[in-house]
Amino acid sequence: MPIEIPKDKWPGSVRQVVLGATAAEGGTRTSKVVVGGETCMPFMHFEGAIPNRPVVALEIRDRRPDDWSPLLVKTWENVIDDPAAWAKAAEEVGADAIQLTLSLTDSAGQPMSPETAVATVKAVLQASGLPLIVFGPGQSEVDNLLLVAVAEATKGERLALGICEDKNYRTIVATAMANDHVITARSPMDVNLAKQLNILISDMGLPLDRVIMDPTTGALGYGIEYGYSVMERLRLAALQGDAMTQLPMLVTPGYEAWKTKESKVGEGVPESWGDWLQRAINWETMTAIALLEAGANILVLRHPESLKQVEAAIQDLMTAPDMVSV
Amino acid sequence: MSKYIATRAIRGSNALVTEAEFMLQKALNEKGPDAKVEFPNTAYYLPLTLGMMGLEVETLGQLNDVLEHARKLLHPVPSSRRWTPYLGETLDAGMATLLAAEAIEAIRYVYGLQPEPFPGFQLAGGTAFFGANGSTGEKGLENHLNGPIDDIQLRSWGIQLVDGRMPGFAAIVGAAKSNEVAVKIVRELQKRNILTFLCGNVNGRSIIDQLVEEGVELGYDTYTVPFGRDTLSAIYALGFAVRSALTFGGMKGGQARDILLYNRERVFAFVLALGEVDDLKYAAAAGAINFGFPVIADTVIPEILPTGITKYEHVVSMPFNEIEGNDDFERAERLVQKCIEVRGVKVKIADVPVPVPYGSAFEGEVVRKADMRIEFGGKHSRCFEYLQMVPLDEVVDGKVEIVGPGFEQVASQGSMDLGIVVQVAGRQMQTDFEPVLERQIHYFINGASGIQHIGQRDIAWIRVSNAAAEKGFNLEHFGKILHARFKTDFGAIVDKVQVTIFTVPEKIQEWLAVAREAFDFRNKRLADLTDNKVEEFYSCTLCQSFAPDHVCVVSPERLGLCGAYNWLDCKASFSINPTGPNQPIKLGKLIDPIKGYWTGTNDYAKVGSHGQVQEVAMYSIMENPMTACGCFECIVMLIPEVNGVMVVSREDTSMTPAGMTFSTLAGIAGGGLQTPGVMGVGKFYLVSPKFISADGGFKRVVWMSSNLKETMAEEFKAVAIREGDPDLIEKIADERSAATVEDLMVFLEEHNHPALVMEAMF
Amino acid sequence: MALSGIQIYKLLPQTNCKECGFPTCLAFAMKLAAKQVELSACPYVTEESIALLAESSAPPIRLVSLKSDGYETKAGNEVVLFRHEKTFYNKPGLFVKVVDTESPEAIKAKISAADRYVVNYVGIELTVDGFAIEAASGDPEKFSAAVKLAREASKRPLILVSRDPSIISAGLKALEAGESALIHGADKSNWEVMAALAQEHKAALAVISTDLETSADLTEKIRGKGVEDLAIDPDTTGLGAMLTFNTIARRMALKKNFKPLGFPIIVFPKDLVAATQAISKYAGFVVIDDFKPDEVYPLLVLRQNIYTDPQKPIQVQPGVYEINNPNSEAPVLVTTNFSITYFSVANEVEGSGLPAWLMVCDAEGMSVLTAWAAGKFDAERIAKSVKGSDLASKVSPKRVVLPGHVAVLSGELEEELPGWDVRVGPREAVDIPKFLKEAL
Repeated sequence: MPIEIPKDKWPGSVRQVVLGATAAEGGTRTSKVVVGGETCMPFMHFEGAIPNRPVVALEIRDRRPDDWSPLLVKTWENVIDDPAAWAKAAEEVGADAIQLTLSLTDSAGQPMSPETAVATVKAVLQASGLPLIVFGPGQSEVDNLLLVAVAEATKGERLALGICEDKNYRTIVATAMANDHVITARSPMDVNLAKQLNILISDMGLPLDRVIMDPTTGALGYGIEYGYSVMERLRLAALQGDAMTQLPMLVTPGYEAWKTKESKVGEGVPESWGDWLQRAINWETMTAIALLEAGANILVLRHPESLKQVEAAIQDLMTAPDMVSV
Repeated sequence: MSKYIATRAIRGSNALVTEAEFMLQKALNEKGPDAKVEFPNTAYYLPLTLGMMGLEVETLGQLNDVLEHARKLLHPVPSSRRWTPYLGETLDAGMATLLAAEAIEAIRYVYGLQPEPFPGFQLAGGTAFFGANGSTGEKGLENHLNGPIDDIQLRSWGIQLVDGRMPGFAAIVGAAKSNEVAVKIVRELQKRNILTFLCGNVNGRSIIDQLVEEGVELGYDTYTVPFGRDTLSAIYALGFAVRSALTFGGMKGGQARDILLYNRERVFAFVLALGEVDDLKYAAAAGAINFGFPVIADTVIPEILPTGITKYEHVVSMPFNEIEGNDDFERAERLVQKCIEVRGVKVKIADVPVPVPYGSAFEGEVVRKADMRIEFGGKHSRCFEYLQMVPLDEVVDGKVEIVGPGFEQVASQGSMDLGIVVQVAGRQMQTDFEPVLERQIHYFINGASGIQHIGQRDIAWIRVSNAAAEKGFNLEHFGKILHARFKTDFGAIVDKVQVTIFTVPEKIQEWLAVAREAFDFRNKRLADLTDNKVEEFYSCTLCQSFAPDHVCVVSPERLGLCGAYNWLDCKASFSINPTGPNQPIKLGKLIDPIKGYWTGTNDYAKVGSHGQVQEVAMYSIMENPMTACGCFECIVMLIPEVNGVMVVSREDTSMTPAGMTFSTLAGIAGGGLQTPGVMGVGKFYLVSPKFISADGGFKRVVWMSSNLKETMAEEFKAVAIREGDPDLIEKIADERSAATVEDLMVFLEEHNHPALVMEAMF
Repeated sequence: MALSGIQIYKLLPQTNCKECGFPTCLAFAMKLAAKQVELSACPYVTEESIALLAESSAPPIRLVSLKSDGYETKAGNEVVLFRHEKTFYNKPGLFVKVVDTESPEAIKAKISAADRYVVNYVGIELTVDGFAIEAASGDPEKFSAAVKLAREASKRPLILVSRDPSIISAGLKALEAGESALIHGADKSNWEVMAALAQEHKAALAVISTDLETSADLTEKIRGKGVEDLAIDPDTTGLGAMLTFNTIARRMALKKNFKPLGFPIIVFPKDLVAATQAISKYAGFVVIDDFKPDEVYPLLVLRQNIYTDPQKPIQVQPGVYEINNPNSEAPVLVTTNFSITYFSVANEVEGSGLPAWLMVCDAEGMSVLTAWAAGKFDAERIAKSVKGSDLASKVSPKRVVLPGHVAVLSGELEEELPGWDVRVGPREAVDIPKFLKEAL
C-alpha cells in the first residue's frame, strides 16, 4: 500500500550559535561547537535539515563540591581539587565542551573573589582546548561580580556566560557584548517567560546568535514532564516562525538528576530502587535522553558513563534512517 | 525650534570650526602630518569621530578629513529678518561643534596641554598622566585634571549604566551661583548614584574650582570626574557616550544614527548648564541634543519644549533665583530633581526607610487589641486613603507631610482619625491607573512588621502594634513606605510621589470629600467604560504555562475568566511591563458587533493560540467561544433540553443538571480548546451587558449555583431589572431545586422562565 | 473539519438514556468530539447519523487491551503528537521478556521477581505490566511449558513471541481461559494463519515490518479476516529508525485518519536508552530483555511523568514527610501537594542536610500561589492538616513555617493554631537551606 508521508514544512528555523573561538578567530580554543540551525523537530531528518548535532558538555567545579553525590566524588576523585586537571579529564572522556560552575565560596570558605574566579577560568582554558561555558554560583549579585571579571579577562574566547535571568540579565548581557561572549538565558519552565527574557536581551542589542536559552528542567521523576513539554513547545514555536524562541537550548540534566535522592543516597532506600551506581547513571542518562528528544542542543552532564551513552544515542539519532518508504 | 538658540548655536559652531582649522594648520606646520594623535588609555581612537564618521584617527594629517566634514555640516548664520533656521540646521551645527571640539582637544594632547594642568590638584582615582611638570617623573594623579575616561573605567561604569545600577550621568558645564550651591548639586547627584562630569567655566571660574575650594574630592572614586575647565572638555562626556554604544550596544564606528539612537533610548544623561550660556555653549548643547541628552540651564534662555529628538523637552530654562525654595540649598535640590525629570531618569530606592523590619514576610501579621498601640479606622475612628494623579510640577518627590498632631498623645490602645493622600506624577501615569495603584497601598503598608492594614478607600483600617511604636514607628513612616514602594515597584509609570497625612478634622473632612468625589467618578468611569468606547482590548497569557494555547481576551465589559484581571489592570500591567503577559490587542475592523468579532481579536487569537484557534467571538458561547485555561471562577454550559445555560461556580461541589460536577466539567471547559456550548468565565462577567449577548444574554441563565446567587445578590438584582424582568433571579433554579435536567424542566415550567420561549439556541 | 460537541449532539437521539455511560447526550457528544469514546457506545444512533459522523465515530488509534485474570493493560486511543496538546492517555505497558531456552527455574525466578516488584513513587505503587515469552527453542512443547511456567509465576498479561504459527498455537493453548494475549507476530509470510489463530483465541496480533507500507498492508489484510485488535512493530534496533517509524505512524493516524496505521506500537528496545525513547515517543507496549530494578524503576517513573495530564498537575499524597530524620526540635515546614512544589521543597530541605517535618497539605494539586488564590490553601486548611497529624505531640518548640508567598496567612494561622510559633519562610524553595540555617 503506497503511503504518502505527511511532512511538516516549517517556515522557521533555529538560529545557529557558535561557542568557542579558535586562534584564527581571536581565541585560544582548539575546537569549537556549533549548535542550532535545524529546520525540523528533533531528528526528523525526512522533513528538514539538522546541520549540527546536539553536543554534550561535562560539568566541572572550581573546587571540590560540598554537595555532590559521593558516587561522583569518587569518579572524579583524582582531579576534583584541581579544575584544570578536571577539565583535561573531561576532555579525555569525550566531552564536546566544558561547563565550569563557580562556587559561592573558595576552598577556604571565603567568598569567591573575582581574582580567584578569573585565575580558575584561565587555568581551565589553559588545560583544555574545548569551548567553555561558565556559570556563576547562582546568586545574581555574586554572579555579576564574578562573571564581569571573567568576561573581561577572557575577551575573545567566545565563552558562554550564565546564568542570565530576569534579575541580572542586564549586567551579563552588557559584559558579553563588550567582550564578545555568548550568554545562556535561563527562565523558569515557561514558554512565555523564556520568550520575554529573550526579548529583553535582544532589546539590549545583543545579537540573538549569541544567545542560548536554558528553559530549565526537572530531573526524571522530579518534574521532567514540565521541562520536556516547554522545550517541545519552544521548538514548535521556533519552527512556526516566532523569532524570539529560535534559539538553541541548553539543559542541565546532570545537575538535576544528581541532586535527586535516587542519585545521592545509597543506604536506607527501598530495595526496589536497585543498584545505587547503576541507578544514578541511569537517572542521569534517561533524563538527558528524554530532553534530547524534546529538542535539547546542549546537554550538561556529570558522569562519564552517562556521557558515553548519550553521545552514542546522538550518533544514532543523527544518522538519517534508511527506511524504504521514507 | 527657537530661532534665538539656532542663531547662537550656528554662530558658535562656525566660530569653533574656524578655530579648529586654524589650530590644525598651525600644528601641521609645527609637528607635521604624521605626528601621532591619541587620547590616553583608549582603544577607540578619537571616539566621537570614530563613532560618527567611522574614521580611526591616528595622525594629525587625518584631522583634515574630520574638519572638512565638520565644515560641510555648517550652515550660514540665519538672517535677522527671516525665520528659516530649524532643528536640522542646528543639530548639524551641533555635530560640527563636537567634531571640531574633539579635534582641538586631540591637538592639545599633541602639545601636552591635555589633560589640563592644575597644579596642586589630586584626583581621587582617575586616569594617571604626567602632571603639570610635563614629562618629568612618573605618571600620576597629581597636578592635572582627568581628561577623558579610560577604557577600564568606561567598562566598569558602562556596565552599571546598562544594568541600571547607575541611573545615568550628568555633564555639568559652567559654574554654580555659589560654592555652597555647587557642593549641594554634586551631593544631590551623588546621593542618587548619578555619575557626574564636570567642565566649563563662567568668566574663567569653573565648578571644578568651586568644588576644589570646598574640599570636595573629585575623581573616579567619588563618581565626579573633572574633565577640564573649558567648555570644550565637555566633548569627553560625549566621547564616553559614543564608547558606551560601541562597547555595550554592539555597534561599529560609523553607525552614527544607531549610536545616537542608542544613547537617546538607553543612556540617561543630561547637561546641566550653570551660569551664563555663550555661543559655544549653545553650539555644544546642540551637539548634546543630537544624542537625545536634554539641556537644563539655571539662567534665562529660550526653551525648546516640544518633544522630538530628546525623549521629553530639549532645552529647559530654570533660572536659579526663581526656583521655589526657602534657600539656595532647596533650590539646588529642585534643580537636580528637574534634571532627572526632564531626562526621565529612574532612580530606585533600595530600602524602605522605617525603624521596623520590612518585607513581604510581614504581610499577614495580625495586630491584636492587646498588643495594639493605636488604630486608625475600625469601630471608633475613621481612616481613608486616596491616591491622586497630579501634574509633575505639583509634586515634590519624596516629600512626606503630616498635617496635624502625631499619635504620641493618644492613649495606649486608643484610636484617631487619619487620612492618607498619595499624590503621584509621572509622564506615563494616567488617571485610570489611580485605582490600580491605590489598591497597592494595602500591600505596601502591610509589609511593615507590627502594622496591620485592612480595607481600602474610605473604609481603611490600620493598626500599629506597641512593638512597632516602641521602635519609633510614627505617621511619617507611612509616607516613607509608600514613597519607596511606589517608586520601586511602579517606577515605569510613577516619576514622583508625595504623601500627605492628615490628622486634623477639618482637613480630613475636606480631603475625604475630594476622595469620595474621585471614588464616585471612578465607579462611573468603570460603568461607562464599554467595549465600544475603547480602541484596544488586552491579551492575558499568564496561564499559558499550563494551558499553552489559551489566551484570554480582556475587554472593558469582559474581565479575565479568573476574575483577577480587568481591562484597567491589564492596561496598567502593560505600562509597567511592556513585554509582559498583557499586550494590547488593537481592535481593527469591526466584523460583527453582535457576536463580537473584530479583525484584531481574530488575528490575535491565531497568534496567541499558536494557530489552534482561528476566530473568537467575544459575546457568544455557541460559536467560537473564548477558550479557558482552568482558572475560571464559573463554568457556563448549554443545557440543550431547556434552551438555556447553567452557571456553576468553583465552590459548588454538587451535581448539576448536565449530569456532571464542576470538576468533571472543568475537564471539558479547560485546556485552551474551543468547545462550543461550554465556557469558563469570571463571575463578574455574568452581570455584564455583554454576557453571551449574542445568544440572548443573561435571560438564558436557567440554573445557577446557590452560592453565586447569594454572594452576588445585589448585582443580579440590578441585572434582572436591566433585563426588564425583576423576578428573573427567582426563576433561575439551583442545586437545591434541580439536580437533574428533568427536575430542571419542571422547575422552569413552574416558574415560567423566559428561556423556554426564547428563540432556539441552535 | 472535526465536528463540535454541539454539532454531534444534533445527530444523537437526545434522549439522555445514559446507556452509553454518560449522564446526557451532550456530555457524550463532547467526549466524542474529543475523540475519547466510540460512537458504537450509543445503542440508538441512526444509520444516517453514523454516516454523517464517520470521521468522529472512532478514535484514530484503536484501543487495544490485553487481559488476564484480574489484570488489564491498555494501549492506543491517543489523540495528540505532543503531550502538551492535550495529554497522552494510556501508559505503554512494560513487559519483561523470558526466553523458553532458559531453565525452568530461571524463567520462574525472573518472572516471580518481576511479578512481585512494586516501587512507590509519590504515593503511587508502580509495577510491571506483564511478560513476553519468546520461543527461541523452536519447539512447541518447550514454548508451551514456558507459557505454563509463566502462568504459574504470574497472572499478568502475556505476549507470545514467535513467527511460527504452530509454536504460537501451542502457546495460546497453554493460556488460561478468558484471557487475551498479544501474538508477536505476523509478517508477510505467516499473517493469514496468525490472523486465524488470533481470531480463534481472541488474541491481539502484532504485525512486524521495518517499513510502513508493509505494515499498513498487513493490518488491512488481517482486518479483512476480522481481527481488529492489532499492534505494529517497527522491527528495528536503531534509535533513529524507531523514532521515524513511530512518528510517521502516529502522524498518519492522527492527521490523515489513516486507519491501517491507527494501532498501538510495540517496541523491543535494545537497551535502556532505546526504552527511554520508546516511552516518550509513541510506543504502546515496551518489551525489555532484563529485569533490573535500577532500570525498571526509572522507566516506570518516566512513563508516569510523560503520561501525566499537563492540565491536571500530578499530586503527591498529602501528609507528613520526614526529611533527614527529624527529632522533636525540628521545624514543621508547610507546603502544598502539587508535585513540583513538593519536589522543590523536599529536595532543598534534603540537600541542606538539616532535619525537618514537611507537612504537605491537600491543595488539590496546585502550587502555593495558585492554591492560595483559589482558596485551596488557607489558614483553616493548613491548621486542619497540622491538627490532623500527631505533630503537636512530636515537636517542641512547636514551630510551623509558612511559604513566603502566603505570608499573608500568618496572622490567621496563629489564631487557628494556638500554642504554635508561626514563622514565615522564604518565597522560593532554593532559599530554604539558608533559612533553615540562619533563621531557625
